[in-house]
Amino acid sequence: MKIAAAFVILLLILLPVMGFSVTGDGTLKGRLQTFVSYGLSLTSILLCLLTILVSVYSLTSDIEQKQIYTVITKPIRRWQLLFGKLLGVVVLDVALLTLFSLVIYGITLYIPKYFSADESERDQAENEFYTARASLSPAEIDVTKEVKETYDKLAQSGQLPEGMSRTQIFAELTNVKKLEKRAIGVGREMVWEFNNVKPRDPNASLFIRFKYDVAVSPPDSQVYSQWFAGDYRQIKYGTKPKTPIYRTAVRKDPVRTFREIEFLADAVADDGYLAIAFFNVPSNDTVVIFPLEDGLEVLYKADTFTGNFLRAVLLILFRLIFLACLGILAATFLSFPVAILFCLVIFFTATFSGFVLESLDFLGGNVAGVYYYTIRPMIQLLPQFDKFNPTKYLIPGRLLSWSLLVKGAAVMVAVKALLLMLLSLLIFSFKEIAKITV
Amino acid sequence: MRYAVETFSLTKIFSDWWGRHKVCAVDNLNLKVKANEVLGLLGPNGSGKTTTLKMLLGLLHPTKGRAVVLGGDASSPKINARIGFLPEESYLYRYLNARETLDFYGRLFALPAKVRKMRIEALLDMVGLKAVANRPVGTFSKGMARRIGLAQALINDPDLLILDEPTTGLDPIGTRQIKDLILKLAERGKTILLCSHLLADVEDICNRISILYGGRIQAEGQVKELLQQTNKRQITTGIISDAAVEKIKQIVQQEDTECVISSPMDRLETFFIKTVTAAEEQAQPTSGAVSTTRLGDFLVSQTPVEGILDKLVSARVSPRAVPETPLTEQPEQEQVKKSILDQLTGRSITQSKNKQQTEQDKSQAGDSSDA
Repeated sequence: MKIAAAFVILLLILLPVMGFSVTGDGTLKGRLQTFVSYGLSLTSILLCLLTILVSVYSLTSDIEQKQIYTVITKPIRRWQLLFGKLLGVVVLDVALLTLFSLVIYGITLYIPKYFSADESERDQAENEFYTARASLSPAEIDVTKEVKETYDKLAQSGQLPEGMSRTQIFAELTNVKKLEKRAIGVGREMVWEFNNVKPRDPNASLFIRFKYDVAVSPPDSQVYSQWFAGDYRQIKYGTKPKTPIYRTAVRKDPVRTFREIEFLADAVADDGYLAIAFFNVPSNDTVVIFPLEDGLEVLYKADTFTGNFLRAVLLILFRLIFLACLGILAATFLSFPVAILFCLVIFFTATFSGFVLESLDFLGGNVAGVYYYTIRPMIQLLPQFDKFNPTKYLIPGRLLSWSLLVKGAAVMVAVKALLLMLLSLLIFSFKEIAKITV
Repeated sequence: MRYAVETFSLTKIFSDWWGRHKVCAVDNLNLKVKANEVLGLLGPNGSGKTTTLKMLLGLLHPTKGRAVVLGGDASSPKINARIGFLPEESYLYRYLNARETLDFYGRLFALPAKVRKMRIEALLDMVGLKAVANRPVGTFSKGMARRIGLAQALINDPDLLILDEPTTGLDPIGTRQIKDLILKLAERGKTILLCSHLLADVEDICNRISILYGGRIQAEGQVKELLQQTNKRQITTGIISDAAVEKIKQIVQQEDTECVISSPMDRLETFFIKTVTAAEEQAQPTSGAVSTTRLGDFLVSQTPVEGILDKLVSARVSPRAVPETPLTEQPEQEQVKKSILDQLTGRSITQSKNKQQTEQDKSQAGDSSDA
């Protein structure tokens, strides 16, 4: 296949060139992030396209050029033929993916040696990039009851906003209530408790990563605060302290910017309990809000960069396996050009499935009903490539956990890809191989 | 099992995309092929020959009716393992070379490696492609592709051989070889179903023929019965004097009938092969060849299980093989010719003697009928 060779050469040239030409934001970390992000995305996209092409071509060309006549009349079952094709494509994928990921991995490790960077930049890269940090977010507080009450109250007093559907109002109210739970008034403090904190090494660092939002913007856009980290139960129940409790001096941080506070991992209790407290210093004069989703997290090193990278590559492999199955399914009932088009449409929808779903969620009226029972389940049948996007984890040095990987494998390969293969088997078993449509 | 292939009101109607019936390719066909016979399916283009074969093999689903092949359904692997199929063109994987192609098909039959290797060599030798075995089949001429296609159909030593126009694209020598091969296979108890519109080929090799037209059988029966002119007799003699001829004429006149006397004509095929053989023999001293009989002997002595293939190979006493010259140096055409010629000599010496006899008989019969 010349096309495969073209892809390989393209990537083998592009990857090293990218490795030494990207600069990111100028820091070592930025450079690394940009390279891994583009390198891995490019590899993934090109391999996805190649997989679609090869899997569709291998079956449709056999049918169109009729080599299948002498193959299918031999003592093999039709499922053997299909799985043989699949196996071939997957082996090719594994080989190419191994090659390219080794190239990317090699370059990623080599970049810090090649470019001069000072100690702080190296530390930053070490702590925030060459790592796999697990992240813990405060548990979500269930607000549905309160939302319902508020809604009923509004409905009774006839104060419901006009021109909004019930779903929209509910979404709005939920958002408001959730933010209320994450707002801290002046002079008050809030404690978040985490369980199952399992740092690899008690001497390693833990990080509180946060972003402030404020009700009233302070003149210098800085928020003064004091943070505590440790086993809060020791204070609460007055027991003899076993693990240290760390506290910061009063510090100031800019609003709407991610900041990190580092402290030692020995603050975590033996049973994996950790509490974080935030004190809104009175000199602030404003309510501080931690935005939903990524406003507050505790990060700790849970695995190495290598392990994380390996899992990221595996995640790409699952994607490729799904696409190979999709290509074979399309080839069982479509001709080459149509099958390619079909696969590409599915591929891009799957890549942007999150966006598509979100944007369609705000349809109003009858259309919403139709959509809810027709298109939505179909889109949900697709694999969510953006949900299992490996660069999302590698760039900020987040842990791509085995459990997420297994989930990805289960959803994309064990369920959806298998479903595709079963469907293609069904079609292929009843297909007239030599059929001529007049 | 009486019949190797039996169809019951087999019907195939091709529809268009909307399901409207367009073409009735095969119409209530009741075809019966007895075990161990060579049946020729004849007919003009578009008479449903190939469609019938495809339905037998499960490549097409019959609209109506049923086909029983070797006592079962041809889409089951058990039955498939006993069938050899050569489609109307040799559809091969272009990037594989001849040996790899045969190896691939051998693997599909799950033949053990040893058996596979032996058979591949024997078959390559038999179809005369040994010298070009390492060239991608995409570079093969149509005739060469045909040969590899035939080798592919024989890799599993099949009980039933289904051949769709086996001789198209082959040179006269290749055609002759394939016809001889088919006769040899029939001798060894194989059933052969072939379809063709080359009447001469069918006449030479088939026990029975069915003539299809419009998807129906128009005529069916033993070749001899169908073609024999029962109201005529033919006598072939050596060179005799004119006086003797006169005497014979008188005797015939006493029987109250007329007689035509002429020298029998050689068939063009026989003549062609004779000429090429002669040319080949003259070129012999320069070719410096290696005998291929050794391989055949080796096969026979090493693996008695090999059966038909060994016999096939060893039956052919070929005095020479292709010279071991580098492939790249030689123009393609010449090479092909050489390998074919080598094949030819083996056959023409050992096998065509009695063959020629029968051919002459036939040609004479043809002559007299023309007269």
